[in-house]
Amino acid sequence: MTRNEIKNVILEIIEDIDEEADFDSLEADKPLRDQLDLDSMDFLDIVMELRKRYKLQIPEEEYPELSTLNSCVNYLEPKLKDF
Amino acid sequence: MADYQLIIIGAGLSGLAAGIRAARFGLKVLIVEQHWQPGGLNSFYFRQGHLLETGLHAMTNYAPPEEKRAPLNRLFRQLRLSRRSFRTHEQICSEIVFPDRTLRFSNDPDLLTEDISREFPGAADGFRRLLDMVRDYDPFAPAPWRSARRFLDGVLPDGRLADMLLLPLMVYGNSEEEDMDLGQFVIMFRALFLEGLFRPAETIKEFLDMLVDHYTAFGGEIRFRAGVKRILRRGDRVDGVVLHNGERITAGSVLSTAGIPATADLADWDIDRSAYRGKMSFMETIYLLPLRRGASIRNDRTIIFFNHGEHFAYRCPGEALETSWGVICFPGNFKGLPGTDPFQVRVTNAANYEVWKAAAPGEYEMMKERWRERSADQVGKIIGNFRQDVVYVDSFTPMTIERFTAKAGGAVYGSPVKLKDGRTHCANLFIAGTDQGYLGIVGAMLSGVTIINRHLLRQE
Ligand SMILES: Cc1cc2nc3c(=O)[nH]c(=O)nc-3n(C[C@H](O)[C@H](O)[C@H](O)COP(=O)(O)OP(=O)(O)OC[C@H]3O[C@@H](n4cnc5c(N)ncnc54)[C@H](O)[C@@H]3O)c2cc1C
Repeated sequence: MTRNEIKNVILEIIEDIDEEADFDSLEADKPLRDQLDLDSMDFLDIVMELRKRYKLQIPEEEYPELSTLNSCVNYLEPKLKDF
Repeated sequence: MADYQLIIIGAGLSGLAAGIRAARFGLKVLIVEQHWQPGGLNSFYFRQGHLLETGLHAMTNYAPPEEKRAPLNRLFRQLRLSRRSFRTHEQICSEIVFPDRTLRFSNDPDLLTEDISREFPGAADGFRRLLDMVRDYDPFAPAPWRSARRFLDGVLPDGRLADMLLLPLMVYGNSEEEDMDLGQFVIMFRALFLEGLFRPAETIKEFLDMLVDHYTAFGGEIRFRAGVKRILRRGDRVDGVVLHNGERITAGSVLSTAGIPATADLADWDIDRSAYRGKMSFMETIYLLPLRRGASIRNDRTIIFFNHGEHFAYRCPGEALETSWGVICFPGNFKGLPGTDPFQVRVTNAANYEVWKAAAPGEYEMMKERWRERSADQVGKIIGNFRQDVVYVDSFTPMTIERFTAKAGGAVYGSPVKLKDGRTHCANLFIAGTDQGYLGIVGAMLSGVTIINRHLLRQE
């Protein structure tokens, strides 16, 4: 997957989780949680969805890698290169 | 390989929510329910062409869809249900009525604050401090039991105000007698007074159907008339369940929503059952009245919490029924609901399970009638006499609750001691629902979600 595709996957997952999500003013370098007003339960869902879709196991200590949209893409790029 | 990754005992609200959460992330899950329909404490039945709900006065924790952090909306996100398409009606106005004093509350918390400054002018400051505490307190952080009564005595100058505030919070969500844990007090205070009451546009039947459909769409399986007779245990692990018909079904984990005492019986769990047997049970009476008689009674509130006594004591009565305090609910009085003819009035009174259980079969129906009359006398003092107009009446007692939900002693709010982490004596047997700690419809569902998140999704 390209970086752009990965970004779209993340946004699509968030949109699925949260029908109120508003991406218009989303900044790729700022924490997703604050900007989208998500909590840790929602955050778990992003991880779970990645596991379900791509069989990705993300250990709890690596959750911080998913904090911004950019860091998500950086972290997932090598893991999703064969998809 | 086990037949399922997870078996859930019970298709009440906690079991259904847990099932949806587990199935959503691909777990192979089976819900087994002893009854022929879902809902447990919150179900429905048909009489004379009317659909009657068993346990819905109002849902608590109202929040509009855009308040993302509100428990109701978090719950919907967790279950991947669309909050926008869930149509709700907010309460009109509810009331707490004590001798000589009345407090109103609605989904606008200012109304309660105003009424308190009018009825208890000396308590306005104390109440403000109470509100600050309720907003800041973290009721989910592990903490030892603390007395809500003692706390209230410290901030409110007038014990009667504490009684008035406690009545709705206790009767809608306290499994202990007399007092309440401060954390539970905060949860209930927010749920009722800060967030507020509402009901779904449709009945609990449509709500349950929606949950079951959603669950099965995610691949979850459900079986009705499938009572669990025994949980298969080997040392400190469980292997699955045996149904009443003898069928064995194996599973990687089991989640029970049957309550602690019932789960202990099913799984040879050597605990002191009596410590986990709740004493608070209730009799619920549903009256149907013709619409044209609506004007002859006081009918402008959604829910009335009343107490005729000088003090309010939340405890199991010595006799069959406690008629001096209770709840009167008008299920039709929510904003924007079309009126129905006949319309419903529901009354809840605390009841003594042991007394009802001791009744001989022929005596039971008469007992219901006798106590219903006494209850109606007390209710009449608040809303006016309505008895001559009743076109249909039905009551259910602690016995009914026990029979249909297997809640030991008909304890609606379950055990006075909660197992907040949902763990049991076996590493892969968990409990959710009423005895895990969250109460009410929204609470029971959040419980199911929380336990799945903590124990089933994080593992592997
Ligand atoms: C009269 C009344 C009024 C209420 N009013 C309100 C209200 O207005 N608002 C509100 O929010 N809440 C209300 N409640 C409370 C609310 O109904 C409960 O808190 C909630 O439904 C509890 O859900 P649960 O899943 O924990 O338990 P339950 O509903 O008891 O679910 C447990 C399920 O497990 C099944 N089960 C038990 N043992 C077995 C077995 N061995 N094998 C298979 N299945 C088994 C039972 O049949 C049941 O379906 C009311 C309750 C009552 C009784």
